[in-house]
Amino acid sequence: MKYAYYPGCSLEATAKEYDMSVKEVFKALGVELKEIEDWNCCGASAAYSIDHLLSLSLAARNLALAEKENMDILAPCPECYLREWETSDSIKMDRELLDKMNKALEGTGLKVKGSIDVKHPLDVIVNDIGIEKLAEKVVNSLNGLKVAPYYGCVIVRPPRNKRFDSPERPTSMDRIIEAVGATVAPFQHKVKCCGGALMMANEGVQMKLSREILLDAKENADCIITACPLCHMALDARQMYIEKEYNEKIEVPVLYFTQLIGLALGITPKKLGLDKNFVPTKKIINSVKLASK
Amino acid sequence: MEQIIRLKDCDPNFVYEVEEAGGENVHLCFQCGTCSAGCPTVYTMDYTPRQIMRMVTLGIKDKVLNSETIWVCASCYTCQTRCPRGVEITNVMGALKSIAIREGVRAANEKGPAFYNSFVEIALSYGRMFEPLLMLKFAQKSEGSLSGTLKHLLRHASLGMELTKKGKIALMPHKIKGREHMKKIIENIRKIEEEEK
Repeated sequence: MKYAYYPGCSLEATAKEYDMSVKEVFKALGVELKEIEDWNCCGASAAYSIDHLLSLSLAARNLALAEKENMDILAPCPECYLREWETSDSIKMDRELLDKMNKALEGTGLKVKGSIDVKHPLDVIVNDIGIEKLAEKVVNSLNGLKVAPYYGCVIVRPPRNKRFDSPERPTSMDRIIEAVGATVAPFQHKVKCCGGALMMANEGVQMKLSREILLDAKENADCIITACPLCHMALDARQMYIEKEYNEKIEVPVLYFTQLIGLALGITPKKLGLDKNFVPTKKIINSVKLASK
Repeated sequence: MEQIIRLKDCDPNFVYEVEEAGGENVHLCFQCGTCSAGCPTVYTMDYTPRQIMRMVTLGIKDKVLNSETIWVCASCYTCQTRCPRGVEITNVMGALKSIAIREGVRAANEKGPAFYNSFVEIALSYGRMFEPLLMLKFAQKSEGSLSGTLKHLLRHASLGMELTKKGKIALMPHKIKGREHMKKIIENIRKIEEEEK
């Protein structure tokens, strides 16, 4: 199994630990990742809010680069994943749009055909590699650790045919938590929005929405796992701002789901970037026990 | 709430303009309000998503483009997921943002357009995001004055420092080799959009 890796801008900077842990986990699971050469920013929700055609075209250039290698794309950031996936899916169904994309790429020497798929690591681990195979590779038990699976928005939405999980009641992260021997904590806010997209333009709204998620998790869970750099920034890095604003202690660690898997696979905390999370992850690391098998 | 809608204030083509900009099926809305019921940011909107859908079909362009609502939408797709009529509500909000930016409408809260414009300018010139510049551009655009900009940056300085300490902020931008491609793509898109007019 081999994928064209599209880290996206966040994984190069603010979500460094996501990039590190994705690479480590996929290596341990025997999947090869080859970074797309000279990929560009997908434009995220900003390009999409300024010009729809621009948003599609930015994604199309990356698709064209990956098609040259004839590999499906693996995109860990849900916003990148949505933009690439949406363009890839749309040009497969709409000949006219495909022609338009190639018009947009004219003069770059690149052509897009619509011959590859775009996948999220959650989908690949649960459906392509398989949850049983993951469970087989577990060497450390996370027994007793209660984890709140936070999916956020665009990993499962908007619903269109062929999406890998339910938009209202997704289970892929739950299954991963169980596979690594931990417990899924009761958690109402699985797919509620954290307001991350408004983090800069409307801080107050982001803090209110993120706080509700954090308080729900605090009640029943030892930590939250997420699959999104923006959600992670909103819940982890900005947790101290929320605590200050509302004058309360929250202190809920927020891990990328790949960091949790990595611990179970026996990868060192350092290699998983667990020192880069804002809320200390020490308690979680200490709860890892050598499995008795 | 009593409201008078004057025909002369309505633009019957507005709904097509919105659909053309990526927000499909607005005309199918039957005003059930499921979108507003599930919206996480509705509490801070001046018009609910349901009202916006109705105003779009009626062509009350001015009020829609000047509304706070379109900039408070967090693009979470909850409304679009639940709409029983298949209205692409989140995409409609996206389309409305793009029309407002294109037409230079001064938003009630100018931070929304300031953020999107800053983001895209950097993405198109470098081919990648560069967070320190994003912070700077956004502060300049949203605050306007030099003192406002400095105050804004100071307020976020501690997060910036922490991110730098953890090696989570690049100190220099990564510029892709295909920056010419970005220019070509923008040129081509202008041409396509001109032809489609």
